[in-house]
Amino acid sequence: MPIRLLRPDVSSKIAAGEVIERPASAVKELIENSLDAGATRISVEVRGGGSELIRISDNGVGIPANEVELAFQRFATSKVSSVEDLDGIKTLGFRGEALPSISAVSRVTLVTRYERESEGTRFEVHDGETVGNEPAGAPTGTTITVRQLFRNLPARQKFLKTVGTEISRIQIAVTRYALAYPEVRFELNPDKGRKFASPGTGDLRAVVAAVYGLQNAEGMLDMTPSDEDDLSPMVWGLVSPPSMDRANRSYICFFVNRRWVQNRFLSFALEQAYHGFMAERRFPMGVVNINLPYEDVDVNAHPAKAEVRFRRENQIFGAVQQAVRHALVTYSPVPEVNRLTSGHSPSHARTQATSGAFWPTTPFARPSPSERDRLAEIAGWTSDHDAAQTHPIADVTPESEPMIPKNALPVLRVLGQVQTTYIVAEGPDGMYLIDQHAAHERVMFERVQAQAVASTPEIQSLLEPAVVQLNPEHQELLEAQGEIIGSLGFAIEPFGGDTFLIRGVPALLGEGDPARALMDILDLMADGGGFESWEERAAYSIACHSAIRAGKVLSHQEMMELTRQLEDCVQPNTCPHGRPTMIHLSSSRLEREFGRT
Amino acid sequence: MQLSCLQENLSRGLSVVQRAVATRTTLPITQNVLLSTDNSRLKLAATNLEIAISTWIGAQVEEEGSITIPARLLTEFVNSLPAERIDIAMNPQPLGLDLECARFEAHINGRDADDFPPIPTVESGVIGKISSSVLKDAITHVAFAAATEESRPVLTGIKVDLKGDSFTFAAADGFRLAVYEGKLAEAVSEDVSFIMPARAFQEVNRLIGSDDTTIEFTVTPSKSQALFRLENVELVSQLIQGAFPNYSQLIPEGHDTRAVVDRTAFLSATRTASIFARDGSGIVRVKVLPAENGSSGTIEISSRAEELGDNEGKIDASVEGDESKIAFNSKYLSEVLDVLGSGEIALETTTSSSPGVIRPLSKEGYIHVVMPMFVQW
Repeated sequence: MPIRLLRPDVSSKIAAGEVIERPASAVKELIENSLDAGATRISVEVRGGGSELIRISDNGVGIPANEVELAFQRFATSKVSSVEDLDGIKTLGFRGEALPSISAVSRVTLVTRYERESEGTRFEVHDGETVGNEPAGAPTGTTITVRQLFRNLPARQKFLKTVGTEISRIQIAVTRYALAYPEVRFELNPDKGRKFASPGTGDLRAVVAAVYGLQNAEGMLDMTPSDEDDLSPMVWGLVSPPSMDRANRSYICFFVNRRWVQNRFLSFALEQAYHGFMAERRFPMGVVNINLPYEDVDVNAHPAKAEVRFRRENQIFGAVQQAVRHALVTYSPVPEVNRLTSGHSPSHARTQATSGAFWPTTPFARPSPSERDRLAEIAGWTSDHDAAQTHPIADVTPESEPMIPKNALPVLRVLGQVQTTYIVAEGPDGMYLIDQHAAHERVMFERVQAQAVASTPEIQSLLEPAVVQLNPEHQELLEAQGEIIGSLGFAIEPFGGDTFLIRGVPALLGEGDPARALMDILDLMADGGGFESWEERAAYSIACHSAIRAGKVLSHQEMMELTRQLEDCVQPNTCPHGRPTMIHLSSSRLEREFGRT
Repeated sequence: MQLSCLQENLSRGLSVVQRAVATRTTLPITQNVLLSTDNSRLKLAATNLEIAISTWIGAQVEEEGSITIPARLLTEFVNSLPAERIDIAMNPQPLGLDLECARFEAHINGRDADDFPPIPTVESGVIGKISSSVLKDAITHVAFAAATEESRPVLTGIKVDLKGDSFTFAAADGFRLAVYEGKLAEAVSEDVSFIMPARAFQEVNRLIGSDDTTIEFTVTPSKSQALFRLENVELVSQLIQGAFPNYSQLIPEGHDTRAVVDRTAFLSATRTASIFARDGSGIVRVKVLPAENGSSGTIEISSRAEELGDNEGKIDASVEGDESKIAFNSKYLSEVLDVLGSGEIALETTTSSSPGVIRPLSKEGYIHVVMPMFVQW
């Protein structure tokens, strides 16, 4: 095939693919336009996971009638005019790609009225072709309706996930903007799943209540910006006290100049601030805003603008860490007042030692009762009973596993524990080192799977049902995968709104807070641990949650029991992820190393 | 400080306070024991900031004073000495104690008594009296059901309700509930409720000797601390703050099946079944069969282990009501049967998914609720 220039319709679709990856990215681009237009109310309607219809209405300034057509041209924008402007981008959008990209792969209807004009415009584009442009009556602001997204791009359509997944991605996108713009009222009305509304009062804690639930919002600690000098980056927002830890990083949001960003460096700074307060592999929750001079940050590094570059990375790292640490030290001197273990946490004991007080009495800073009521009122997730449906899961029947030859372990004699992480054992041919967490994870994984396959979950019922508030993502997950979660031994029933009752837990979990266990397991399931099928994800999550951790001191008896259970496993040599559970040092290797042969 | 005392008294005193010595701590001085003269006695005290134990032993005091000494070192040294008189003198530079006993002598470095966390004094509050044997029995029947996990702090405690001359102890860990009702030796000055850490109660239990005495206790008006005064020993515990679940509503009101069995036979059958249950989640299945055609009623206790095998045991029971099936975690079943004295007990059940209730026939005030496990039958 000779080389030739692509036809405009092909090249525009390729470009569109970069910006508009899935319905959620269209929602994101359109919300950014609304925000840049100064809207204070943005409502998002979604049907069929966004591929059928996305409608975004705002009360922003609108688009002047004579500029509407231009708005659909590629690289047409009102936000940047010169190269110099790129050095200090203040608006969310600037590339001039969003509208043309969306309209290239869908049917877009735009109804808008500019605030200083008396008549509005109705403009229609089908797959990049203008099909209508007429005056129309409309309130100030813009309403964009996107229909049949990717209809003409089967390659993209194929890779869209289930409706439920796409909706939950849209929810994530909307909630992120709600967190970044507490003063803007966001509404999300999907045809399936849960509705969301942020109060738009400018109170970040109220938005957190709407997104993560009231309990979490109440517990969060304020990070107030230090006003020492204006040059340093300003860091503010809400972070969780160390006692509110989570199993993954999905509860951490960073906003740089109110733009949601993904940045490993920032996460690391946040986690560093919790160092010593939080167990390993546990993560805080946080909504962290960073305000920087616009010229100090390059947002033009990625078409979807999720990644940013900083001019002074170290300074920002320090500022974030300091602000978080400050919040932790100021508000959270004692991890949990009622917790009575002495010497359990370094901060606990230190406070007592320095203050000279014998009994810790510092009450935890909590919102007042009236604030609690107010938060409860505005926590806006409402369930839509008519639309609440469980999404069928493809291929529920587990595939018959290929028979794996039993990877027999030799009989092992336990010698001891190294670094409270590895078990040292002797076998017929040399020495074995066993990773206690990986080994136990394998044992639990196979046990959970066996019970699930035999559909004989062992459920320990609770004396008193545990009440748990779930965030929208967890609710989605529970709704979609409820059957699997039930088959593993959780007995859960809805209790109105975002509240659920846990009546029974998998017996394998043992003691511990059932609500916390459920949230951990949902987090781990969302993360997936690299597994494709939901059954495996769920089994892995329970195994990971209930497996003993590295760092736990084991008695000889416990180590013997663990190795014995590992010997009984079908695949004892690897953990569910495929990492080794043990390392073998053969006798001949030992002899060789010591120069005995 | 200068004094003399007998080795066996000092050794016994140290063993009493030793349980309150902190083991793992970031406040190293809490690993010390505080020695101070108190009139003509030697007072020993230790605290881990959760509980504090003080005891007094007879001594011949020559010179007043106080000091703190590493508890473990002192205890081990004193225990190794012959049963003779020990002369103790404080040495100001380096700060420490000189001990002399028979032909042994030692110098142990210490720290200033002022650095020691103040042992709280409980002066006023609700005062009550209880017989030591009654208290011991109550703690034994309830404390094991408290949670050991710290995730819900209130559940690591025992809820104590004092009303007139009667008391109620309750403990629950999310899967079971133990409630003990009894009588105080003397009515309390005022009705009061509080949550005492189960661990602290276990220590009180340990301190109670075989002689039946009367124990006086005081709860501070703020309900933040409680003091238990035994003979020559005082234990002060921090109380747990928070709301204990309203447990009375968790006790089933009625039952469909009631089986009365010999506790010892039931316990040994449960233990046998638990051998097979060990690999799973400790599930034992209990089947209650009413009397039929002249044969007596029975309880069948069975368990099975995937791929390994199964077992079944039968014990005689007098059964009222219908046949019933219920599964329990063998740990919960054997732990409660373990603390119940010999005699007959009643197992009351309704459905296999509703709580099972165990009551000793000889002890009216005690009730134990165990949540079942949902299993395939």
